[in-house]
Amino acid sequence: MKLWYSFTKELKLSSKGFYFYIEILMAVIIITVLLVFIPENIKNISDEYLMLDMPAAVEEQFISPLLSQDLDGEIEIVALELDKEMMDVRLIESEDQRIYLIDNRDNLIALSKKDRPSASAYISGDDISKLTYEYYIQGYESERLQNLYMIIHIEDIMTIANLASNQKVVALDADYDHLNSRESALPALLTFNGSMMGLFIIAAYIFLDRQQGIIKAYAITASRVWQYLMSQVLVLMTVTTLTTFAILLAVMGFKANYLMVILLLLPSAFFFSSLGLWVASFFTNLTQAFGAIYFLMMAFMLPAIAYFIPSWEPLWIKFLPTYYLIQGFKESIIDNGDMGFVLLASGIYLGVGIITFLLANSRFEKTLTA
Amino acid sequence: MIKVNGLSHSYNKDGKYAVKDVSFEVKEGEVFGFLGPSGAGKSTTQNILTGLLKLQEGEVTVAGYDVKHIKNEMFNRIGMSFEQSNVYSKMTAKENLDFYRKLFDVETKEPQFLLDLVGLGDKGNIKAGEFSKGMKHRLTFARSMINNPTLWFLDEPTTGLDPSIAADIKDIIKAENKKGVTVFLTTHNMYIADELCDRVAFIVDGDIKLIDSPKNLKMQYGDKLVEVEYIKDGETINESLSTIEENDKKKLQDIIGQSDIQTMHTKEATLEEIFIKGTGRGLI
Repeated sequence: MKLWYSFTKELKLSSKGFYFYIEILMAVIIITVLLVFIPENIKNISDEYLMLDMPAAVEEQFISPLLSQDLDGEIEIVALELDKEMMDVRLIESEDQRIYLIDNRDNLIALSKKDRPSASAYISGDDISKLTYEYYIQGYESERLQNLYMIIHIEDIMTIANLASNQKVVALDADYDHLNSRESALPALLTFNGSMMGLFIIAAYIFLDRQQGIIKAYAITASRVWQYLMSQVLVLMTVTTLTTFAILLAVMGFKANYLMVILLLLPSAFFFSSLGLWVASFFTNLTQAFGAIYFLMMAFMLPAIAYFIPSWEPLWIKFLPTYYLIQGFKESIIDNGDMGFVLLASGIYLGVGIITFLLANSRFEKTLTA
Repeated sequence: MIKVNGLSHSYNKDGKYAVKDVSFEVKEGEVFGFLGPSGAGKSTTQNILTGLLKLQEGEVTVAGYDVKHIKNEMFNRIGMSFEQSNVYSKMTAKENLDFYRKLFDVETKEPQFLLDLVGLGDKGNIKAGEFSKGMKHRLTFARSMINNPTLWFLDEPTTGLDPSIAADIKDIIKAENKKGVTVFLTTHNMYIADELCDRVAFIVDGDIKLIDSPKNLKMQYGDKLVEVEYIKDGETINESLSTIEENDKKKLQDIIGQSDIQTMHTKEATLEEIFIKGTGRGLI
């Protein structure tokens, strides 16, 4: 009962406090950004600059399959700017690609340097099956892409295309749904909103109480230190649940699996709040603790980069606890997501959370009133 | 009620002791004053007695509980009023008391009764954050009584209060003590100690220099003096004369017989003077 009294009191106090409104504001910002600025489906249109140095008949052969995908089936003449002068170039535009055909090699190189298109090539030859490709790259392309450029033309391009089209692709889980662009942003944002804010805010709550000497008064009662700490954790878990559900409802309606979300959310919020407590136990005020908390928050944000850029996923990133939270949120909100993964992650967060809380409690019993 | 034997505490465990080998005993129903200047070790001792600091060395029993292995039940029996007010500023005075009474397993006092007692009866629904310093101090004081403590720790209970409220607080302490409550009073205010305490301990540099009743200390260390102001040959003269020493006694008789006395009163040594005499240190 004392835990309940402490929890309701802390909840009431936090609702009158500054940090509670930071969490609410964060949720409002996330909802606004997702609904107003991020479209449901972001079209990724790439630009390519090509110069075709080949007889007209071969060029026609080369262009023909590209033109078949053009939006209106016709080549357009557009102007590109180079050295403050406009030059006419041909454009073939499909749904996901704009191919500019440039007539001069020097201009191709200069425009590639200036505009940094996703691909730039000088293609020459008298026979469509024996063309020579000279790629101009920017220098930051991945080694994988550079290797691909080197091997892609070893075989006849049509042979590769035929091989690719004859390849049988079987989906292991045909029911696995896809998230749209807006929904895809949710796992990383939910992780940031809930758990990582919790890490910072619980430390702020503790330092505020310590500064006001309230903890000393609490320590001279027949209540235990762990009840005080747990009441703070419960407040964070409650606020995190409320803001997470608000964001999910606004963005996804009732599409997400809310049972799985809460099964993941509560243990993870418990773990991150306990971690915040443990870190706070080493410092006497928020200013001192800020460096450590900031470092942790930055480190914990790195899995979000791996989430948005799947090609960058070093092994060490899997040791960061937010990695599994982001993946877990994704599985929770996607139709037919991997519930086994969510349950396993929840169990691990709960287990590690209990250990972290016990460690924090042990530290606070020695230092809370100092 | 309190037994302390060989208590030592070092904050950094580096051999520098905030209190060193302190021993004393507080009897049930007694008002015990723990007096000393800032940094003398008063708060350290009190924090150990109340479980706010871990006991490092020595044996300490509080209200029958071994402080080395504090049991939660101990806190049902003790109350503490802090020098620095520490109440929830965003809660009303009544809400503050209501919350704290739920944290004890014993019968508690009604918040309104306590607020009336400390003169905040009509301020119960005002947020503590809007209180003046003195009002917050009274609320902190009231909160320390909520669980009907049998052992009451008071840290500078009248600091920052105006004289009439300070007098009320002293009356409350006296009344509670009459009911059998043991009081452990930490202060550097010798006047309140003199007025309230059955016994006092003088602590300096973590070491208890003297323990006795104020009366005995005055008998032992105080001089019995008469201060007299008189006019002789048109000149006003002030003198302090001993009522024990023969020469002074004779001089006083002469002054009374031959001079025009303006004022004359006996002067008893104050606890502060005894503290300085007994410890060789001032109170600041």
